[in-house]
Amino acid sequence: MSTKSSQIAVSLQQFPAARPRNGFRWLTQHQHQLVLPGLFLVALLIFAIAAPDFFSADNQLNVSRQSVYLMLVSLAQLIVLVGGGIDLSVGTIMALSSVVAAMTMNGIYQEGAGSAAWAMAVGTAVALLVGAVVGLINGIGTALLRIPSFMMTLGISSVVFGVALFLSAGVPVYGVPQEFGQMFGYGYLLGIPTPVLIVVLVILMVYILLEWTRFGRHMYAIGGNPRAATLSGVRTERVTILAFVLSGTLSALSGVLLTARLGTGESSIGTTFPLESIAACVIAGAALTGGRGRTFAIVAGTFLIVVVQNGMNLMQIGSYAQTMAVGALLIFAMIFAKK
Amino acid sequence: MASPHPSDNALPIADHGGGWTQAALTANDLGKRYGSHWALLSANLAFFPGEVHILFGENGAGKSTLISMLAGAAQPTQGTLSIDKFSGYFRSVNEAREHGVWAVFQEFSLVPNLSVADNIVLGDEALNCCGLLDKVAARAEARALIERLGFDLDEKAVVGDLPRGKQQMVEICKAVRAVPRVLILDEPTASLSTHDTAALFDLLRRMKAQGTAIIYITHRMEEIAQLGDVITVLRDGEVIAKVAASIDEPQLIELMSGRKLSDLYPVPPPVTGDVRFEISRVSTVDGLLEDVSLSVRAGEILGVGGLVGCGKSELGQACFGLLPHSSGQIRLDGRILGFRHPADAIAAGVWYSPPDRKHDGLAMVRPARENMLMSAMDFGKLRGMFVKPRAAAAQTDWQASRVDFPVGRASESVANFSGGNQQKIMLAKSLCQEIAVYIFDEPTVGVDVGARQAIYRYLHELASVGSAIVLISSDLSELLGVAHRIAVMRGGRIASEFIRPDFDQHKILEQFFE
Repeated sequence: MSTKSSQIAVSLQQFPAARPRNGFRWLTQHQHQLVLPGLFLVALLIFAIAAPDFFSADNQLNVSRQSVYLMLVSLAQLIVLVGGGIDLSVGTIMALSSVVAAMTMNGIYQEGAGSAAWAMAVGTAVALLVGAVVGLINGIGTALLRIPSFMMTLGISSVVFGVALFLSAGVPVYGVPQEFGQMFGYGYLLGIPTPVLIVVLVILMVYILLEWTRFGRHMYAIGGNPRAATLSGVRTERVTILAFVLSGTLSALSGVLLTARLGTGESSIGTTFPLESIAACVIAGAALTGGRGRTFAIVAGTFLIVVVQNGMNLMQIGSYAQTMAVGALLIFAMIFAKK
Repeated sequence: MASPHPSDNALPIADHGGGWTQAALTANDLGKRYGSHWALLSANLAFFPGEVHILFGENGAGKSTLISMLAGAAQPTQGTLSIDKFSGYFRSVNEAREHGVWAVFQEFSLVPNLSVADNIVLGDEALNCCGLLDKVAARAEARALIERLGFDLDEKAVVGDLPRGKQQMVEICKAVRAVPRVLILDEPTASLSTHDTAALFDLLRRMKAQGTAIIYITHRMEEIAQLGDVITVLRDGEVIAKVAASIDEPQLIELMSGRKLSDLYPVPPPVTGDVRFEISRVSTVDGLLEDVSLSVRAGEILGVGGLVGCGKSELGQACFGLLPHSSGQIRLDGRILGFRHPADAIAAGVWYSPPDRKHDGLAMVRPARENMLMSAMDFGKLRGMFVKPRAAAAQTDWQASRVDFPVGRASESVANFSGGNQQKIMLAKSLCQEIAVYIFDEPTVGVDVGARQAIYRYLHELASVGSAIVLISSDLSELLGVAHRIAVMRGGRIASEFIRPDFDQHKILEQFFE
């Protein structure tokens, strides 16, 4: 080995002219790792000039609050993406869970069947369960019936949206206890906004799950090569189903927290989340083909999208233009993605 | 021989075959670096018309890197290529093709859902008078080409349905149709039948006579003797020697590996144990296996040989439960086995190593370590809900050292490694749990001599601790060298069995054919 390295050293001396070009080659080889920091830098530079308020403590708190809902969904999306799938039903799971949570709480609390606390607990539990069940259906369709996850979740997304509209008749569902919003929408715990605290816990859980457990290892293996994983004794079907169940549950949690924030159950929420969550993952280096994607990078990717939206708000750019910007950002990131 | 492409610039000129000839393609100072690792260091090579130039070397020696750059699939870090008046490097495969340089890689560039004919004419389709595809003409052209080449290939077949060997021939047809000046072949016979190999060699001799420069990568000695004119030996990214193809085998191996070929095949340890693994009268519904009975003793390596499609691969799959059998029994230590999932098989102590590393064996984007531990968290001492980082690192270090894999590179993605090292990762994967029976299907395809030695040593180590080993291989010399016993399969049945002292290459080979 030592003789080899000395040969390399000799050859480098022989070609000094190759050195400057190597810097450029390094850039092109590592471009996929530089997208996220690069975009952050550009965004922050623009906001520093055009929207100095962006850096105020108040606004930073705002950003962390606003990022909660997308963060949960991006993490849900990551779990599925790592295994080589995609979940397009995350948005309508949010809508359904919001409607179901509000209706359950209304049923228990407003009809006098129980206290506000009891209503909140049952409403949340039922909504999370609904999310898990939708995820289970997605998982069964993908893993057992061998329907490509793209089609399965796209179809289920429509079914779930229909159910949400049917249950709510397309109008906001009232009757959510005020305490729900006070605690989980605007409240603080230990001096930190409660939803932010919840998200921090979820981030840690997903990180541990993906990087430090058997489930995580198996997900990366399945995403890397499903045949190899099966032949190595990984029960790919079970693992895949569990991934979709987790994705559905996290999306439902996002829907529940957004319900607390809004004070009503809404079937119209979540429409932008499939795209934004996929964008957050892909910008942060997750591969649509599976096997690649790291939790904390996805956290950063989500922040980028929320920061861009927040900054454009401060610059008084309308929501239509923001919609365009997120789509453009996703495509821009794909140019540099590791292919 | 006169140069078919005369030009007056200063290309290398050599006396070859009775005349002064100009090189068709030259590599000047060509080098390629991946990360901090030089895959190829400053190669100076000339490829002449009408010459079969063999590239010889272990996996990772730089052969694949070299031909990737020659064919435009990779771009050099330093150095240039010259062809005619062109000097520089090819930015894409298409640019190389415009200069007449065609390559048939081990990875195919075929569209699986198109027919053979459509694939052959792809990118240069004949049009009829209305500007629409002339499918009849395409088919006729493909048919004529296949017949001219003497291949056994149906132009109407869908490429995705064909076995690997036939796909390889479609790829060769495509390259030959373009009348290349330089044709690069990377181990083209690895999955070809005997008939198709003979047809390919005929074709190459004809092309050679017509002045095509042929660059040919192979690990097989008999091919060098049959085809080669000159050999360039590469080792660790460097050109070690340029020799005539008449060089004798031990010398060539020594040049390639830097060590003597005294024992490519270590002497198998004696078999002492009783029968561990027993297949009795196993048949499958579709007739891929018919009434197959075999037994393997503890410490024994049973070689299974035969032609492509004889059922030897299916036998391995049936042992692991991948191919359900309709009748018969498979027994391990007297217990009857029946698996619904590979996990059941591994838990019962049966391990299967598939022949196709890339598609069935390894997660290419994941690190080598993770691949080695793919089954570790379900079986063996690392099993559990949570990753145990220290124990896992110690485990993979040990696994790597057992199979002679570079421990220091264990955190790199599998895609970074050569075929030999990838195969070692495949072998290491089985070391996470107690295994009684190992089934290896083609464990040395595309693996160089050095790595093969390590693999054979490893097989013998496994046998010496009392495992039963089924070694399925298309390489008869490997079976002769490594196995205690050889079973030859033909048409889904066991044609005959040979025991080590009575190995006779010719008798065994006779059994391959009816």
